[in-house]
Amino acid sequence: MQDGVVLTTLDDFLNWGRKNSLWPMTFGLACCAIEMMATGAAKYDLERFGCGAFMATPRRSDVMIVAGTVTFKMATRVKTLYEQMAEPKYVISMGSCANKGGPYWQYGYHVLKGVDEVVPVDVYVPGCPPRPEALIEGVMTLQKKIANERLLRNKWVKHA
Amino acid sequence: MLNQLAETINRNIQGANAQAFIPEDAKLHGSVTIEATKLFEVATWLRSNKELPFNVLQVISAVDYLDYFEVCYMFANFNPEDMRDVILKVKLTDRVNPNLDSICSIYASANFQEREAFDMMGVRFNNHPDHRRILCPDDWEGFPLRKDYVYPKMYNGMEVFPDAKMNFEDREFEARQKLISKAQNTASTDV
Repeated sequence: MQDGVVLTTLDDFLNWGRKNSLWPMTFGLACCAIEMMATGAAKYDLERFGCGAFMATPRRSDVMIVAGTVTFKMATRVKTLYEQMAEPKYVISMGSCANKGGPYWQYGYHVLKGVDEVVPVDVYVPGCPPRPEALIEGVMTLQKKIANERLLRNKWVKHA
Repeated sequence: MLNQLAETINRNIQGANAQAFIPEDAKLHGSVTIEATKLFEVATWLRSNKELPFNVLQVISAVDYLDYFEVCYMFANFNPEDMRDVILKVKLTDRVNPNLDSICSIYASANFQEREAFDMMGVRFNNHPDHRRILCPDDWEGFPLRKDYVYPKMYNGMEVFPDAKMNFEDREFEARQKLISKAQNTASTDV
């Protein structure tokens, strides 16, 4: 009987479940998306971290990986997609362009200077484009962040 | 080939005023310049003639030379026994409202190319079937690749160059260094 009992807090239990089934949204904007696909494919296999189920709709996904250059034309769409996601939702900004404009930083009239201008970003992954290992580290950083959250105290749970 | 082409165009189309430009360096491409008003007729002739046919339009690009625009058309013939290509140039002196005839009805590939030329340079194409912007958003102001384009401050409530992110001191430093090096160069040439 003693071996069959596990004691934990409800928060830890919920967070354990959430952080090991992060579903990202299928959403690639530029060359970073190729690295994101490589991360999801057999060699790097994002599924090992419970993060490989790329959903085709924002309503079923937990995390948005903004992979690539966010132009002004796309920025309004990014914002709409983010608003369509259900809480709790997270954003990983992948690559220099999504972080701060990248090579279009100084003279790019058409590029948003960082996706954090329109949506709140949880994890920034630097690189141009980042290697799959870097994206995996970003995902694991996000998992650490989720593990330390107090889910039941969040306002959207209280007022649900 | 270019001289022959210009000659045949002049023979077949009145007032086309085709002139061949052949650069001294043989590595560079030559071109044929024609009158803007005769573009449609010249394109029709290029497509349909038996003498020097061109069945493919590869590229349309517009160039800003500050006092005039130049629109370049690259035509090619993809018949394996008879391969050739040519760059056809048209000069547009009207900077405020540059106008050209669309050649979509002759070469279907001109559709997107002309829309891009309109989007980036503001060259308008008469009788185009779908004359909209292709890359920029529909409510974008100005034509970005023009030399006198003024960068927008805001677009749809988003700042184009946010002060907090731009590090303007570095930009000023760079500009100052350019001015200093320019002044030094002129001083050294004066001596």
